[in-house]
Amino acid sequence: MIDFPLALLITSILGALLAGFACSTMGVFVVRMNLASIGYLMSHAAFAGAAFGLMISIDPTIGAIIFSFGIALILGPLAEKARLQSNIVIGFLFSFMIALAFIFLNFIPGHAASAKALRILWGSILSVSYNDLLLLTLLSFILVIFIIVFYKELLATMFHRKLAESSGVNTKLYYFAVLFFTGIAVSLSLRIVGGLLVFALIINPTSTAYQFFYDFKKILIISPLIGIISCIIGFWLSLISDFPIGASIVIISAIFFSIAIIVSPKRKKSKVKTHQAIT
Amino acid sequence: MIKNSNVIELKGIETIYEGERLPVIYDVNLTVKNGDFISIIGPNGAGKTTLLETVNGLLSYNKGYGLVFGKEIKKHKSEIRKEIGYVIQNFEMDPLAPFLCKDIVMSGRTGKIGAFRFISKSDWDKVWYSMGLVGMIDFANRPIGKLSGGEFQKILLSRALAQQPELLLLDEPFSNLDYSSRRQIETLLNRIHERHNITIMLVSHDLSFVPSRCKRIIVLDRGRIIMDGSKEKILKSDIINSIFNGNGGKI
Repeated sequence: MIDFPLALLITSILGALLAGFACSTMGVFVVRMNLASIGYLMSHAAFAGAAFGLMISIDPTIGAIIFSFGIALILGPLAEKARLQSNIVIGFLFSFMIALAFIFLNFIPGHAASAKALRILWGSILSVSYNDLLLLTLLSFILVIFIIVFYKELLATMFHRKLAESSGVNTKLYYFAVLFFTGIAVSLSLRIVGGLLVFALIINPTSTAYQFFYDFKKILIISPLIGIISCIIGFWLSLISDFPIGASIVIISAIFFSIAIIVSPKRKKSKVKTHQAIT
Repeated sequence: MIKNSNVIELKGIETIYEGERLPVIYDVNLTVKNGDFISIIGPNGAGKTTLLETVNGLLSYNKGYGLVFGKEIKKHKSEIRKEIGYVIQNFEMDPLAPFLCKDIVMSGRTGKIGAFRFISKSDWDKVWYSMGLVGMIDFANRPIGKLSGGEFQKILLSRALAQQPELLLLDEPFSNLDYSSRRQIETLLNRIHERHNITIMLVSHDLSFVPSRCKRIIVLDRGRIIMDGSKEKILKSDIINSIFNGNGGKI
């Protein structure tokens, strides 16, 4: 187990906790709106952006935000109109982003290039800066306010976009807000969880919460909670085992999801009742 | 909302889907008066849903002009939608969907309540009332994905009614339902029209379920209105028989 100064330990725990909160809160919307493929691409675009940031010696978070927004702006409207040929476009862009990331990483100046590259690739406890904490706290606060204020609009949009639109909700606004906040959450969590795995922190806790509840409000509360717990336990696992923190967090969240699938009361009941949904 | 004796006025309307060249509906002229109960019938692909979604502004028309409640649809679509209840064609719901019936019914009021405003007790009262109206009050805390087709349809109807609309648009409300559920929905529609005097426009491909309070039928074929008249006259018409291939049932 690695010995850490207390201040660094607290900063790291807080960073993991906030990343868990922000990512798994956005996961509730991403999963429900079937945006998993866009979010997945966004996390890899953020990774390429961070590598670009390192290459031109700017804050990698800025590069990550720019690249993930770029993907959201290109693919958001396409997916919205159901014109996204997911297998082809995502396969192409995913490999393109990874290729870009490796090219950028190759040109990172200085001697510590490989260490920096590894940090954004699979995350590092040591990477959490005071600024990251501040930004993640701000994002978490904004997310809470956004969800409380626009809860009814978000629920209507999540249920059925066309129906929500037909009763006077501007669903496009909420759709792009979800993409926007997901891009920020991915970019700010990148250094902690790592570019290759950050998206699992969006999907796994939410998918776990979905196995237990039918009430959207409960999922909105439980999903971030599972995200936070995954991050804290993953952080501890990383400390005692020297595993990369991103991998530890994702393994814990994947274990939670696997257990949820097995014990899910929803799945047990649905075996009997699924066919009754439309009669 | 400005009261106008004509709830819907469409003149020379043509609607084309984005990226398409041929219009789905064209040369549509239609006037619907306050309190009317109209059925729009026609074969699959006739443009019935397109017509409904042109009325509530979900689809933009590219020719002609359309007024709803005396306001131009294109310019005031957000405003007029708050007064239009829309029951979408029965769609398959994920059985694990994380929504309770009461929340879905409340979601019908979202636009009417408005942004930056929280749900009040009076909003919930309207939800309970509309759920009671369709006989679904006991289902308030049930998951939406666990309902039968008929129950789901009633919740969608209740959702539209919770909005307290002046105009109700119903897209194939009887599709995918068994006979008993169809009868229940038909009775409900008659009751709602009788008690609340809401203008109702119903789309169907099934002539055997034209609610008794519906006095006017519009026949849509290949994107154009080919007949518009009283129920009795239309049902006896030879054209209907030819469209229905003489079986008097589904088109």
